[in-house]
Amino acid sequence: MTIPQQRGHADPALELRGLVKRFDRKVAVAGIDLDVPAGSFFGLLGPNGAGKTTTLSMAVGLLRPDAGQARILGYDVWADPPAAKSRIGVLPDGVRLFDRLTGPELLAYHGLLRGMPADVVDRRSGELLDVLELGAGNRTLVVDYSAGMKKKIGLACALLHAPRLLVLDEPFEAVDPVSAALIRDILQRYVSGGGTVVFSSHVMAVVERLCSHVAIMAGGVIRAGGPLAGVRGDRSLEDVFVEVVGGRTATGSELAWL
Amino acid sequence: MAVRFVRLKLRLFAGGLRAGGWRVGLFVIGSLLGVFAAVLGYVLFSLPGLFGEQRTAELIAAAGGSLIVLGWVFLPLLYFGVDESLDPARFALLPLRRPVLLRGLFAAALVGIPPLATYAATLGLVHSATALGGVAAGVTELAGVTLGLGLCVALSRAMTSAFATGLRSRRSRDRATVVLACTAALLGPIQLGAASAAENADWRGIARVTGVLAWTPLGAPYSLGLDVAAGRAWAVPVKVLIVAGSIALLLWWWSATLERAMLGAAGSAGSRQRASTRTPVGQLVPRWLPRTRFGALAARETRYWWRETRRRTTLISFAVVGVFVPLLLLNDASEFGLGAMLVFIAALGAVSLANQFGFDRSAYAANVVAGVPGRVELASRVAGFSVYVLPALLVITVVMGVVGDWLAGVPAVFGTVVAAYGAGLAIVLPLSVRAAYALPDSTSPFAMNSGAGPAKALLSLAALVGAALATLPLQLVGWLLADVWRWVGLPIGIAYGIGALALGLRLAGPLLDRRMPELLATIS
Repeated sequence: MTIPQQRGHADPALELRGLVKRFDRKVAVAGIDLDVPAGSFFGLLGPNGAGKTTTLSMAVGLLRPDAGQARILGYDVWADPPAAKSRIGVLPDGVRLFDRLTGPELLAYHGLLRGMPADVVDRRSGELLDVLELGAGNRTLVVDYSAGMKKKIGLACALLHAPRLLVLDEPFEAVDPVSAALIRDILQRYVSGGGTVVFSSHVMAVVERLCSHVAIMAGGVIRAGGPLAGVRGDRSLEDVFVEVVGGRTATGSELAWL
Repeated sequence: MAVRFVRLKLRLFAGGLRAGGWRVGLFVIGSLLGVFAAVLGYVLFSLPGLFGEQRTAELIAAAGGSLIVLGWVFLPLLYFGVDESLDPARFALLPLRRPVLLRGLFAAALVGIPPLATYAATLGLVHSATALGGVAAGVTELAGVTLGLGLCVALSRAMTSAFATGLRSRRSRDRATVVLACTAALLGPIQLGAASAAENADWRGIARVTGVLAWTPLGAPYSLGLDVAAGRAWAVPVKVLIVAGSIALLLWWWSATLERAMLGAAGSAGSRQRASTRTPVGQLVPRWLPRTRFGALAARETRYWWRETRRRTTLISFAVVGVFVPLLLLNDASEFGLGAMLVFIAALGAVSLANQFGFDRSAYAANVVAGVPGRVELASRVAGFSVYVLPALLVITVVMGVVGDWLAGVPAVFGTVVAAYGAGLAIVLPLSVRAAYALPDSTSPFAMNSGAGPAKALLSLAALVGAALATLPLQLVGWLLADVWRWVGLPIGIAYGIGALALGLRLAGPLLDRRMPELLATIS
């Protein structure tokens, strides 16, 4: 293994260059360039089917792009996977976990998989299970957890090895308000400690409340991006989103029978 | 309305074929197998008629027909998987009345290679009946085999529907799966036992059994025309009543379970056990495994082979086959012959890993994100599975040795068994990376995506033949050396097995490293 060259703080936490992905003849992602500054709370917005999940999957090494590059803290995901992957925590879409394990078992699995010493895994798992109110001695299998609990254990697995970049696909979907507030608090704390969060969502209120930077995707390309204030201007994010994405938001003369 | 269901099924099927080249290849192979089975069945069923053998024709119709009906119940569960492309749950929200839905699903179930092959094969009986009793007998037989096909389809639909949905909580479903797996796995040995019993039985006894079978729903539909040919036309309405009644009962049962199927399964209640006091790592990794990446992977694998129903079913089927098949063949087999049988069973164990990644589905993403090296991943999976299989193989070998009275040969034979297991793994590991296929998100552990059945069968066959060939030299040497082999067989066999496994890991590890994202895409 070569010694990684000295990386300055100038390296973005996540850097995508010309990412392209086609499924059969359908272009899911059509050449994406994206810079996520280190220490930012980055929201990737877009309507359903915009290519958010595909983009994030390619960014973290789950899906091989047809063209383009993805770099995490300066390490190329597809040229040097171990270096890049050791620096990220991922909450994949739909949270398909190894759900025939109990919560504590799943955490221990993720910790050891990341090469952490057993005692550190134990200490951190205990804390995470306590904070997320999942119970350190809980013997319920994850498959029997509620949707919100599954999200929480998935998040705990992504956080366990203290990565410098968190990539979360729809972390607030199907989560009750109390759990959502807890997750928000954990993520804000993580960012204020120097971490970077990238997450996809189509819930404007959450994004407006949390993010320092946003990018709006539609049809497989980035339509707008940058610091939240710059993208939003003096309007609401929802107005900007609708304008950029360009769907219809009101009915005309159709549906008169409703 | 029923036509629309058929069209929907055909369209789903065409969509599957469009997905890729190997799907088309599998479809062609499946069709060829279907044609082969149909032709073979047709010939078998029509021959007695052509030779004018009324008694033989009756016997074959009743026995063969019963086997076909039973096959329709158990073969899908055991080997081919159930075609769930028209899952009743998907129609739950459509305003369809139940009879309409039932007719549609039934019509759709009649479309496919197995029903067509069955029908074509049983048409041989029509040929037979016509030859024996003229056109009237032929027409009656045609009605009979058509009823028979309806019976087969209704029976298999009702059974699978009842099984997949009758048990609502995950826990009870898991338990039932295991029970069914045991019963299903026992069928093979029972069949073998019946076959060896038949060898000893006289023809009159068999004729008596088939005579009874011909009056049960199993054999009745297939003996209608032959009854006409034999001048027992009075039996026809009675038998039609028997068969039609059975079909009606089955459809009624199916319809009752269908409603539950459409409601889907409910989740089970929360925890009921005492909280564990051990640390998370202590809960995951047992004491005899290292607390490392390898240990975590292997520990998860051992848990999964027990906790995941599909895997547990695989494991149990293997155990039952492994114990009963050699026991049944014990009577007329030498030490060498039994050794060959045990080699086959060891290879069968290795074949269980042929779609090991498919079991994980998209959960495998965790390992991809963590960047687990291919060789560690595969080695840990082998370790997790071997925890169950190696002791089982040892027990089977020893039991065979005790029962067959060749205890002195046990160590050498076990050496060969380990060699076969290692060789099987060496073949299966690269296959499991290259030829993985997705398992559907269904409640039934037997469900398969349409088209994946032949893939499963082909993979298994390839690995079995490969492992047998790979251990052939060892078996030959053992046979030639006889006495010396008793002493050196064990160490040589184990070394051979480990060597083969190392080779397999060396081949498959880098392959997995290169293909991790592609593999994930295939199985999720």
